[in-house]
Amino acid sequence: MNILEVKDLRCGYDCERGAVIKDISFSVREGEFLGVIGPNGAGKTTLFRAVSGALRPWEGNVFYKDKEICRIGPRDFASQVAVMPQMLEITFSFSVEEFVLMGRFPHRTRFSALREKDLAILEEVLRLTDTFSLRRRKILELSGGERQRVLLAQAFAQEPQLLLLDEPTLHLDISHQVQILDLVRRLNQEKSLTVIMVLHDLNLASSYCDHLLLLKEGKVFKQGSGSEVLTYQNIEEVYKTVVVVKQNPISHKPYVLLVSEEEQMMRRKLNNTERRWEEKETLRTLSNNTESTEE
Amino acid sequence: MDKKRLRIFILLFVIFVVSIIVSAFSGASQLKLDTVVGKDILWKIRIPRIVLGLLVGGALACCGAVFQGLLRNPLAEPYTLGISGAAALGVTLGVTSGASGIYLPVFAFAGSAFSVFLVYSVAAKKRFSNPSLILGGVILSFLFSSLVFLIFSISKAEDIHGVMLWLMGDLSSASDYLIRIIPFFILPGLGLLFVFSSELNILTLGEEKARHLGVNAEQVKKILFITASFITGACVAASGIIGFVGLIIPHFMRRIVGVDHRALLPVSCIAGAGFLVLCDSIARTIIRPLELPVGVITGIFGGVFFLSFLLKSKQWEIF
Repeated sequence: MNILEVKDLRCGYDCERGAVIKDISFSVREGEFLGVIGPNGAGKTTLFRAVSGALRPWEGNVFYKDKEICRIGPRDFASQVAVMPQMLEITFSFSVEEFVLMGRFPHRTRFSALREKDLAILEEVLRLTDTFSLRRRKILELSGGERQRVLLAQAFAQEPQLLLLDEPTLHLDISHQVQILDLVRRLNQEKSLTVIMVLHDLNLASSYCDHLLLLKEGKVFKQGSGSEVLTYQNIEEVYKTVVVVKQNPISHKPYVLLVSEEEQMMRRKLNNTERRWEEKETLRTLSNNTESTEE
Repeated sequence: MDKKRLRIFILLFVIFVVSIIVSAFSGASQLKLDTVVGKDILWKIRIPRIVLGLLVGGALACCGAVFQGLLRNPLAEPYTLGISGAAALGVTLGVTSGASGIYLPVFAFAGSAFSVFLVYSVAAKKRFSNPSLILGGVILSFLFSSLVFLIFSISKAEDIHGVMLWLMGDLSSASDYLIRIIPFFILPGLGLLFVFSSELNILTLGEEKARHLGVNAEQVKKILFITASFITGACVAASGIIGFVGLIIPHFMRRIVGVDHRALLPVSCIAGAGFLVLCDSIARTIIRPLELPVGVITGIFGGVFFLSFLLKSKQWEIF
């Protein structure tokens, strides 16, 4: 069953500057792990904001479980969909515990005290994201990686069925990148949490996502599995950059290597020598052939 | 954690009660409870004044915390959006057009209602961001106070004196009828602010994130803005522009109880109430038999006290 469906979506910020998302349709099945990739300015974050209900579509629609997203009340929406934005400006330094408990808001009624269930979930998500030891710390004192994990804990505390992530690995070192994505992947598989994630890093997208959506100038350029989308033709066309696509030796998923200008020169030289060598070979075979016929 | 909060709560409450008692027994004349005059002074002058001080102090501190949270700016205060300037203009117009003293609160309230209406309708139409909202408020304040000074410079000196006293904030206006009316303006509003304190916590993360956590951000923001402005308008109408309470008390309390508004709002309320009443007793006694406007004392004592606290503490950050 489709948990999310985007139909002929067109939207943006400013009518005069035109639409950022020009015409996008896709659907996400329950339990799927979808990655949205594309160059800067292709409309990834705009699409993300439209899907999360923060931006109204100009045309077309976004449906969550066959319901128009802008018709779902915030509390209803938040009890099923958790959103982790790219940047969150925090003014007041809540403790980690207080901050994560805000994720329980959609499940609580106004005058009810914290129930045991809320506290149990708090502890569970803190342990899951490895932030239990940070629970009494102030959020503004944390490092970037710690803060990202706390944000994720807050999202998990909402007990979502759909998780939307915008660049969750931004500014993180490789170990934290892998840690965060492993965690999301595990919840995706164990609890069949549906995940839609915007990612810059093509290789992380390749190794974690079931499906990829490659955007170009506000439109879907290509969608499908990693090996269908991440071909060097697609990437060179969309990113205007020369790449080499190999296979990851362990997972056999595509692996994108960047090629610098210098390397491109080297390759061209190599090609040239190869070509010269080939020409010689053909000449040689040709001459050999002629010799043999003469004989 | 919660035990610590409880202890702070009790401590604050003790200070609060003490400040009320101190205030009741301080003033221009010694209080002799065995005489009729003494009883009259206590019940007809000091108690109403204390009640007004409690209400206004608590309300300003609480609204200050709400505005800081809503605008996501620690420098915000109840007067940031131009309420005080507009109220001052209203009072000045009232005085110079010859209205009697009893109607001044009406003029002040009309002024503040006008500014809230102005700021809010423009902000709602243009979907202002917080910084532009604050900037707009500051510009409005300047505009209004320039108009006040314009009127001052073309009117008679004796008219101005009353307005000056009011501009500095003054609790001596506590009359019987004011005391009967003001609680109806302030207390229900404060209750409403308390009810929405969980939402306010989440709103400090920004409107978009708040919506994603299940808060109907636009609606809650509107309710909180209008309620806090309304309360502030009532405070200004009752006792003039008492500065500093709304800015400093929430900061001070945030250091003690943390940033969770469910604790911060009630604690600020109690602390603000106690602080203003205490300042008022100082204002009444320090140059006996004359009285100072309480706004002067909140500024001087509050400023020195908070600055010394800031210098003593190890952290330099305000929160």
